Formats: sequence, structure tokens, C-alpha cells
Amino acid sequence: MNPMTELGLRFVRRPGPGGRAANLAAFGATAVVALLVTFLIAGSLGLSHRSERIGWRSADKADPTTAIGSLNLDDDQRVDGHRLSVLDLAVLRPSELAPPPGLDHTPKPGEVFVSPEVAKRWSSLSKPYGADKPTGVISDKGLSSPEEFIIIRGVRTIPSDQRPQYVSSWNEKVWDSRMAGLLIAVAFGIILVLFPILSLVGQAAGVAAKRREHRLAALRLAGATRTQVLRLSAVEQAVLAAAGAVVGLIGYTALSPLIAQIPLGGGRWYVGDITVQWWTVLVVLVAVPILSVISALIGLGRVSITPLGVVRGQTRKGLSVLRIGLLVIGPVMLAYYGMRAAVLPLLIAVGFAALAVRVVGPWAVQLVGKAMAKAANGPVTLLAGRRLVDDPKGAFRPVAALVLSGFVTGFISVFMPTGEDDPSFNDLRIGVALLLSLVFLTVAASTAAGAVGTALDQAAPARALRRSGVPLSVIERAARVATVVPVVGVGLPVVGFGALCGLALSGGKVLTEGSSGVLLLLGQVVAGLVLVTVAGAAGALVLRKASAN
Amino acid sequence: MNFQSPQSQVVLSGHGLVKHYGSVVGLAGVDVAVRSGEALAVMGPSGNGKTTLLHVLAGILTPDQGEVWLGGERVDQLNDAARTVLRRRRLGFVFQDNQLLAELPADENVALPLMVDGLSRREAIGRARTILAQVGLAAEVGRRPGELSGGQAQRVAIARALVGEPQVVFADEPTGALDAATGSQVIDLLVGAATYRGAAVVVVTHDNAVAARCHRALHIVDGRVSDAMGAVR
Repeated sequence: MNPMTELGLRFVRRPGPGGRAANLAAFGATAVVALLVTFLIAGSLGLSHRSERIGWRSADKADPTTAIGSLNLDDDQRVDGHRLSVLDLAVLRPSELAPPPGLDHTPKPGEVFVSPEVAKRWSSLSKPYGADKPTGVISDKGLSSPEEFIIIRGVRTIPSDQRPQYVSSWNEKVWDSRMAGLLIAVAFGIILVLFPILSLVGQAAGVAAKRREHRLAALRLAGATRTQVLRLSAVEQAVLAAAGAVVGLIGYTALSPLIAQIPLGGGRWYVGDITVQWWTVLVVLVAVPILSVISALIGLGRVSITPLGVVRGQTRKGLSVLRIGLLVIGPVMLAYYGMRAAVLPLLIAVGFAALAVRVVGPWAVQLVGKAMAKAANGPVTLLAGRRLVDDPKGAFRPVAALVLSGFVTGFISVFMPTGEDDPSFNDLRIGVALLLSLVFLTVAASTAAGAVGTALDQAAPARALRRSGVPLSVIERAARVATVVPVVGVGLPVVGFGALCGLALSGGKVLTEGSSGVLLLLGQVVAGLVLVTVAGAAGALVLRKASAN
Repeated sequence: MNFQSPQSQVVLSGHGLVKHYGSVVGLAGVDVAVRSGEALAVMGPSGNGKTTLLHVLAGILTPDQGEVWLGGERVDQLNDAARTVLRRRRLGFVFQDNQLLAELPADENVALPLMVDGLSRREAIGRARTILAQVGLAAEVGRRPGELSGGQAQRVAIARALVGEPQVVFADEPTGALDAATGSQVIDLLVGAATYRGAAVVVVTHDNAVAARCHRALHIVDGRVSDAMGAVR
């Protein structure tokens, strides 16, 4: 085995002082990333599986002269508060084709097939259909959800005034319109959650990498080549991330019965729809460690190039004001394309806007830090301000996911429609709740890992300060201020920037009705502050322990 | 520089100091006294209790048995908060690797303990710059530790230790990370500047050359004083 690989594995087994906490934080954060990535992939595939079973009901591409059947869907009725769909199906061309999914034969005129939920209530529903018993119960293979309310009725013809849809196959790979809309929403959701997740990956890698910085710099000074140092770090990070990915996958599998209860897209899900497939497992097991290793290596670039600088705590280069130029691109693209544009350019524009927040964030932190340090008249503000100026990227990293969540909330606060009866609006509301849950799970993991990492970074100087008679409370307050200031000073403007991007997309119209948008924003601020406080408390515990005499 | 042993009053003393770490003996009954303006070197093999003695005398650790007195005040019976205040106001510290805050320039590193004690920033920085000039760093007040040489950084640490006008300065291997020539300059500065102000100095060191710059040396072996106190010079 390569000596650096062997050394890397040894460092994973025996991480040294502070290393265990850092490795645990990195491992835990990677597990959350793997869980989220699995959820996003498996969830998107679940939409596809669901759509495949019911896609034929939305098909309307066939030539009426060659179509095998015509359809008419009525979904205006309600049963026990649930929407009931009634699909009239007329067979135009008797064929040897297999029946529609979930039916044991193609319905003849007068035959009625019902979903299990409808079958349970058939005695009260049967009157208009003239059948004491349904012809058959639709199996899982023909339903969008275990709790779908649908009746498929065979009819002789569908009058032309009902605008029949024409079908050429019962197994057409056509996207169900509601699933297709949901998929677009999911695509936006993925773009919005992508940057918080990437921040979490960077954070997870950064925490462990930071622990290694001095050790690796010492190795460089002792004669190890840049490649050797990077290899060592890559091995350590890959092992931690692979373990995290496995735990994340197990966690997703354990949680999938619960995830299947989310009533998105017309009801709860079959667990089979959202079960991970072998290639999803492969993607997660490969992609998460690779991303994690890349993040760690980027973070260690400074060590491998200037090891002496790290050992001596040399000053970093300032960040260029040119970064704020990036803020313009996203809103301008969104305003240019507007809501009628194709999905892809809009996704790119939203991605650009989120990327701009990630890139501009450290610069803004540096600016706030300079102002604080200049105005400080006490040790807490001075220490916190100087820390922000000294390493704005390091100060922003732990709260990047939280700040990005502000962008997400600001963006979607413009698009919060009301309307109890509209299934699309209902999907949107559940989707927003789900998206924010994912974002906040990411944020919680990232902020906690960041707090631990920052506390470990500050342990040695904090120990010296405590020995010199600086009260622990001063040290802790400085650490807290250095965490809260980027969240408040940068996070709040970012919420506004998210709303601006949303308005740019909507053409300046606030589509939100009622108070849901305001509640969303208030919720974001409260949840953000609670998270920072909890993470700060966790960090304070680590700092107290690590800086003890 | 005058290194004659002073004949002033005892400022710091420890009597019958015992400290255990579980079953490991740190100190096994040490008596020590240091006078104002006196520099005491604490020597001995690694792991034999030198740093433990320094930490106990400085109120960083409390002894299992014995008494520590600073001036007329018994230190070992104070609670943690009171010992913290005492360390800040009446003691100074110099560590082996200077332990300056990397993000603060030299003047702010020195001013920080004063600001913690409630001085305004302007006043604290003013006093910090004065003492930095006295240790030969007038031109480096705005530089961060990473931009200073090892010797310069250690001078900043000495300035930080002295800025509060302490009664005793504790130094743990203050020249351990420096070359011999720079180490000599630093120890001369530390002992000279501290004793000139009437402060006592307690230096933990392995280095005979450092001990030779002090008024006396105390040898600690297996947690006990192995040698009678005697003037090194």
C-alpha cells in the first residue's frame, strides 16, 4: 500500500486531539448529504414511476382514425373530502393488446372498475353507475397512489362535445400532466436546495480538513510533496465520506415508509415507487465521496502551496469587490426570460442567483467585519470583527447554507398561492413545506458542523487567552458574535435578494395571497436564529472543553 | 543589564504543593518563593512537574494540597472567576509558541487584555504601542503575527505579558521555538523588562543558557525540588 494511503487510513483510525469531534461532524454531515441526495433522486424517480402507471389517462396524441380508445376525465366530484376522478373509456378498436395497467381486462361498455378506496364506499357511490358491485378493483399497478379515488367506466362512445382524448396504447410513456408540473417544481426545488447541499458538503469536508491543516503543513515542511499531502487528505476524506454515504443510504431506506406518507402529487406513495435502485446506490456511493474529496482538496490548496503560511497563521488575501457583479446576472436573466420561458434557462438563472449569493457572501462578511473592527470599543466586537476580516470564507462557510436558505425562502415567498381546491396549488404548498424542510435539515447539519469546526479552530488561542485571565464568557461571546453577524448582516439582505429574483421571474407581481408569504419569511428568520443559537451552544460546549486547561 | 539577585520582599510563594493527575504525581510537596524583581528558572526533565508547578503558582490549576500566596492573598482558595481576574490583573504570561491571536495586529494583541479589563480602545492601544516601542517594535505595531519573525512575535507576547504591569510574569519555554541567538535576546528582554518594572519572573526551561540569565534556578525531579535553591549567577 502507498505509504500516504496507509498514513491516511491511520489518521482516520486515530484522529488525534480534536480530530474525533471533527471527523464525527464531517461523517454526520456527509450522511445527511447522502440522505438528501438519495431522497432527491429516488423522489424524482418516484414521480416517473407514478406517471408511468397513469400516463395513458393523460395521453392525447393519437390520430382518432387509428386510436384504440378515447377517454374523458371528470375530476370535479368529491367523496369524503377527497377528489374523485371518473374516467370514461370507450374502446374504438378491439385489439389483442394487454388491458390498461391495473385492470384485468379492458372495460366493456357498462363495466366499472374502481380503486380500493372507492370500493370501500361503493354502496353510497354506486347509484349513478347502475352496478351493485363494481366489475373489478384496480390494482396497485394502475393507481397513482394507494389512496387514489378513481372510477374507470366503460362506455360505448364519448360524445364529441366532451372533447375526447385519443389513445394509441394503454402503456404510453406519457407524463401525467400533474406529475409533469410537479417534476418542473422538483427541478426548481433541486436547484434551490443544491447550493445549501453543496455548502454542507464543503462544510463537512472543511471541518475535517481544517483539523488536518497544521498536520499536513507540518508534513509539507518535513519534505512531503504536494501530491503526497493531497493524497493523504483525499484518503482520509474518502473513507469518512464513504462511511457517511452508507449511513445516509441506510437512513433513507429506514425512513422511506415515512417519506411515502407525504401526500404530494395526489396522495401518499407506494414505498416501492420511492425505493432506491441499485444504480441510485452506486451514484450516491460514488458522487458523495468524490464531491467531498474535491471540497476537502480545494480547502487544503493553501496548505499544499504555502505550508509555512498556515503554520505561522499568515494573512489571507482580501476578496475582490468584483464579486458583487455576479449578483446582477441571475435577476437580469429571470426578468428577461419571465415565467413563459422554457424551464432550463430559468433553472440556470436561479442557479446563477444562488451561486452569486455563495460567492458574494464572504465578500460581504469581510465588509461587515471591517466595519465592526473599526468601530469596536470592546474586546468582543474587536475579536469578532477581526476574525471576520481575517478569514471571511471560513466565517461564511458554516452559515452559508443558512444564508442560502434565506435566498430560497425569499424567492418562494413571492409564489405562495391560496385556493384549497386546486390540486396544483396544494402540491405547491406541500412542495414548499418539503423544500424548506430539506433546506433546514441541510442548514442544521451544516451550521452544527460549522460550529464544531470553528470551536476546534479557536481552541488553542482560546486556551492561551483563558490562561492569561481572559474570561471564557468574552471568548464565547466573540465566537457567537462572529457566527451571528454573517447570518444577520448577510442573511437578511439575501432574503431580500431572493424575493427580488422571485419578482424578476414573476414580472414584478407578487403571486402570494394572504399572509402566507409574510409567515414564511418570519418563520425563516425565527428558524434561522434558533438554529444559530443551538449551533452556537453546541460550539460553545466544544470550545469550553477544547480550551480547558 | 543588571542580573544581581534582589533583596526585596517575597511576592509569590508556594508551600507544600501537591498535585496528582489520577495516579500520576505532578507535584509531591514543593516549596518555592520568588521576590519582586527576581527571575527564577524552573528546570528539570520533561514530565517531572515543571509546567504543573507554573500552572499551580499562576492559579491555572489548583493544588490538591498546599498553599499559594500572591502578595498577601491566598490564591489557591479563590474560585475560578476570581483566579481569572487575578491572572489578568496581576500576572503576565509568555508561552512557547507566543499564542498570539493570528487575526489581530500586534498592537491589538497587546491591547486586548486591557480592553477586557474595561479600558477604552484608544487608551489600550496607546499603552500597547508605548510598550511595543519599548521592546523595539515601534515599526511593527500594525503587523499581524504571521507577518512577524519568531523573535518579533515573542517580543509582542512579552509586551502583552507586561502591559498590565503584573506582579509576576510566567514564561513556559519562551525560547523553545527560537534559535540560540534570538532566544538569548528574547530572554534578556523578558527578564530585563520585567525585573526593571519590579515584577518577578518565573521561567520554565530546559535550556541552561536561559537559566543562566535568571537569578536562581529550581530543579524539579519527580515532582520534588531536587536541589537546594542557589544562585546560578
